[in-house]
Amino acid sequence: MKKKIASSLLSFTLAASLLTACAGNNEPNAPQTPAEGGEGAGSDEIVELDLFIHHSWYPVQSWRGTIADELTKRTGVKLNVTVASDDQQLPLMIASGDLPDLIFANRETRLENEDLAYPWNELIEQYAPDFVIDPTRLAVNTAQDGNVYSVMNSYATPEEWESNPFALGNDGNPGIAVREDIMEALGNPAIESLEDFENILDQVKAEYPDMVPLTIDINWIYHYFQMQFGMPPHSNWYEDGGTLHHKLKHPAMLEYYKFMNNMYRKGHILAENFTYGNDQIDDEYAQSGRAFAHMHTVSVAERNNAALAAQGEEFRFRMIPSTLTDKAINISSSTGFSGVYITRNNSNPEKSIQFLEYLASDEGKELVMFGIEGEQWEWHEDGYPVFTYDVNDEEYVNNEGLKWWYLYSDAIVEGLRAYVPGLQSTQALEEIKAVTEFSPAIGMVRLRSGTDERVIFDRIEEMRKNEEVKIYLATSEEAAEQAYHNMMKLADGIGIDRLEAYADEQYQKNLQEIE
Amino acid sequence: MKMAAKQPEIKAASGSPLWKRFKKQQGMHYFVWIGLVFLLVFSYTPMFGILMAFKDYSITSGVKGIFTSEWVGFRYFAEFYNDYQFYEIIRNTLMLSFLKVIFTFPVPILFAIMLNEVKNLAFKRVVQTASYLPHFISWVVVLGVAFTFLSGDIGMINNLFMSWGWIEQPIPFLTSGSYFWGTAIGTAIWKEAGWWAIIFLASIAGINPALYEAAQIDGAGRLSRIWHITLPGIKGTVVVVLILTIGSILGGGLIGSNFDQAYLFGNASNNSTSEIVQTYAFKAGLAQGRFSYAAAIDLFQSVISVILIFSSNYIAKRVSGNGLF
Repeated sequence: MKKKIASSLLSFTLAASLLTACAGNNEPNAPQTPAEGGEGAGSDEIVELDLFIHHSWYPVQSWRGTIADELTKRTGVKLNVTVASDDQQLPLMIASGDLPDLIFANRETRLENEDLAYPWNELIEQYAPDFVIDPTRLAVNTAQDGNVYSVMNSYATPEEWESNPFALGNDGNPGIAVREDIMEALGNPAIESLEDFENILDQVKAEYPDMVPLTIDINWIYHYFQMQFGMPPHSNWYEDGGTLHHKLKHPAMLEYYKFMNNMYRKGHILAENFTYGNDQIDDEYAQSGRAFAHMHTVSVAERNNAALAAQGEEFRFRMIPSTLTDKAINISSSTGFSGVYITRNNSNPEKSIQFLEYLASDEGKELVMFGIEGEQWEWHEDGYPVFTYDVNDEEYVNNEGLKWWYLYSDAIVEGLRAYVPGLQSTQALEEIKAVTEFSPAIGMVRLRSGTDERVIFDRIEEMRKNEEVKIYLATSEEAAEQAYHNMMKLADGIGIDRLEAYADEQYQKNLQEIE
Repeated sequence: MKMAAKQPEIKAASGSPLWKRFKKQQGMHYFVWIGLVFLLVFSYTPMFGILMAFKDYSITSGVKGIFTSEWVGFRYFAEFYNDYQFYEIIRNTLMLSFLKVIFTFPVPILFAIMLNEVKNLAFKRVVQTASYLPHFISWVVVLGVAFTFLSGDIGMINNLFMSWGWIEQPIPFLTSGSYFWGTAIGTAIWKEAGWWAIIFLASIAGINPALYEAAQIDGAGRLSRIWHITLPGIKGTVVVVLILTIGSILGGGLIGSNFDQAYLFGNASNNSTSEIVQTYAFKAGLAQGRFSYAAAIDLFQSVISVILIFSSNYIAKRVSGNGLF
């Protein structure tokens, strides 16, 4: 009987301990001065730090490979890596206070908080006085409390872009590929305008009735065509007459929607394409020979062709021009992709900031993005890297630990890695770069989570996702227009004007800061 | 033998003071306590989280923040009420739930009765096994299967209907609001009817066979026997299952899965009928880190559920004399 009582008590204790683990003293605010740092500070010992990567799709899962080993050798830091299982893991970690040493995430306004993360500016002053970050980067990464909690990678200033002709950008730009064999069968008609492209889709529809004329990746539905209509493909904002506006209000938006609706009504795009539950279905259509054109990113032709070669298929894809109208424009307002947050739970803030200082150096950036100089790459006399390996060989890149440890990097060194003369993606990026305008002040507009403006923004986004499809799938042009006006009315009701005023106020401040 | 020997002791002690009885039954009580502790820890203790619905809670303040954050009264309930989709979401939730009860509740009963009438044992076993196997398939897989059958482009059903000349354009089963409820109910029946038929088959098996023999001697036909013996025989089970079904009606009742279906089969093109309270709470609340708002929406739904379970219990008691409480 005593045993039974004991086991009951044990069950209760376990359950209670579970609860207290949730409610307990995992205080992110717990005072821990940097000086409490770690055993490895200043010594030659290898310091191990826990790194959480807030990207569930991240292709590398552990600190291994030549580059990781080399980084450990040069910095004395080894990372214990955890990749997020889903998007909810980080919010739950923040809620429980159970934070690792380092977090690599897209700009996370919840971590821009002195109680949760060390401001870099404080750590640099104390432990890495030689770590100099240029004023523009500091400006775009400064949080609303005036501190810098992280510096995003994949960002370059307009001046840096202009002075580096070989830095083109990365795969995060839209593109369309078409079937080479069918183009030949159609007599290789020129594609120099949107009308040309539509005419070819008409021909495909007529001559290949079992084929889907255009299949689109669900995450890249609007980017390419909005770019052709003069709208910023990657931003929710646009500038007009010195003030900032929400993209839904862009004067060309209705024209764009009517164009897409027309494509749908003519049978160029399947209704289901707007509702695909994952981003593999369009690939299956393209690679199984069921689609003529495939809209995704600038590397879509090369990726399809690699897959087709592996399958033993004979047909191939080729890119169409990245710009088909005079209005085509790409506003680069990105202030970066992801950066490292040094949490208050960090066991060695000194080593952490010194590790980032190394990654920020030219040597560090080149080691991570290109590999070991002399072995894996060397400079071309014109000023771009020439690689001894195939930069698109994902298996090699991931096994070596190349590219993905860009915890501190910039868009120039990343863009140089994408410059491989002769590739179709390189040409597409060159075409896009030719129509790119830079506006970091737009990218610096931030809507802090928990604010009313953030709620309005999110509600408009949810509403747009639902209402936009009604426009795409409208049965007539009049119905499409009606659906568009209805969407704008709902946006007004949710508070788009208030949101614009708030964003514009920030935008004006950002412009002044950058100047 | 031990239990049998102890039985009279408990009986004999039934008139003694409470603590004496308690001491005698101590061993049995442990089982109850474990259950109570489980209930307390996992069902009642987390309920303090409901406070969130009335507070301006931020996730960065941790669990402590549930108590320390500022009270905001019914602000989040008002926000939900004022959402442009509010009426649509409530309508969809209720319609999907009631339609499911109306169409999915009788199917397992009818199926069980039909199976009971099958005399060929081998056939009966094959049918029963085949019908409950889909229960073990996840809704994600069901979506994949449904896509293969119902897609406008590659769907087997649309291709068949078109080849027979029944339709000229594919039916947009998966991309039109007009078809969502039908698709949801159809797939729910396919997936769960066989599984739930088991409980009714068990109930039918409990009916005294002598009743059937007597009825047969009296000249009752098969339908008469079903009507006068089988159905009254399983009435109690049907009522209990019906009350449980209505109690969880907003989750999809007997079949459950309202959230899974609305989340997986729902998309922007059928959102006007597929968005329900649970999916909305997930998208507008949890996914955006607005835990207070999500809690308010779910609490709103819980209130409706409680009203429904009390009403159904009251009606069941009045109609059949059976009720849960």
